[in-house]
Amino acid sequence: MQTNWASENLQVIRTLMERSAVYRRALAPVMGAIGVTGLAAAVLATLVGLDKGGTFAGYWMAVAIICLAEAFLLVRRQALKDNEPFWSPPTRRVAQALWPALFCGMAAGLACLGLHPNGAWLLPPVWMALYGCALHAAGYFMPRGFKLFGWGFILAGCAWTLAAPPVLANANWAMGVFFGGAHAAYGLYLFFTEKRGNAT
Amino acid sequence: MNPKPFLQLDRVIHEKGRLPIMSLLAASPELSFTDLRDTLKMTDGNLSMHIKTLQESGFVAVAKSFHHQRPLTTCSLTPAGRKAFAEYIDLLEQIVKQAKETQQTLQKK
Repeated sequence: MQTNWASENLQVIRTLMERSAVYRRALAPVMGAIGVTGLAAAVLATLVGLDKGGTFAGYWMAVAIICLAEAFLLVRRQALKDNEPFWSPPTRRVAQALWPALFCGMAAGLACLGLHPNGAWLLPPVWMALYGCALHAAGYFMPRGFKLFGWGFILAGCAWTLAAPPVLANANWAMGVFFGGAHAAYGLYLFFTEKRGNAT
Repeated sequence: MNPKPFLQLDRVIHEKGRLPIMSLLAASPELSFTDLRDTLKMTDGNLSMHIKTLQESGFVAVAKSFHHQRPLTTCSLTPAGRKAFAEYIDLLEQIVKQAKETQQTLQKK
């Protein structure tokens, strides 16, 4: 009898201690940087007229790599500034949660880049839904708002798949608005609200 | 079974509402009141009451400041709180170990 509650208490302590180490590093700057990059990429793509299947896939995959590099540098900079290890347990958990859905998105992009350029019109909603799944998974180790942010992408991706015509027209703008605009807005929100809201 | 470890458990920590607070604070340098409240899904009053008890026992330090012109209350474990929590975990582990040994002895018989 005593063993049961003692073991249960130890389990509760372990779970809570894991949950306490929530990932919060450089979230507002990362979201802001990704947002600005996404918006700039959308403007550039529209001006240049990137609306062919393979080119569209390759271009936006390159933008994604730039965004990942930005996030990596910002997170590393804050880790150095705070004198903390970069690859901390919360960072590792977030990366592990993000990775499967991002990997699927990369595979879908590569497929449209080489084998099925005509299917590229499906890339934006698929990427959006997969990115939403990645954020939702990472949301278990991040502040609560990330899960909702993830759901926003999932629902937008699903709505686009159902409603949008099977063409790439306006896809660059949509990528800019949904990826760039949403990240920039969320970055601003985090900038003004992080460490706020107190009751005592 | 030896009841000694059970009797040694710190009654301030060994409480349904306070143990989770101590566990969360043990894993972070500090946490805001809001973070604690949201993670533990406690009401403001309930959390304030438990924090006050822990503060009076010298286990938790509470700091009040301003962030973006809004009040921010942060809680952290004091060295005494950290020590008491470590001792509490040791005792729990002892209880589990003891019970397993008793069970094994009974099975052998």
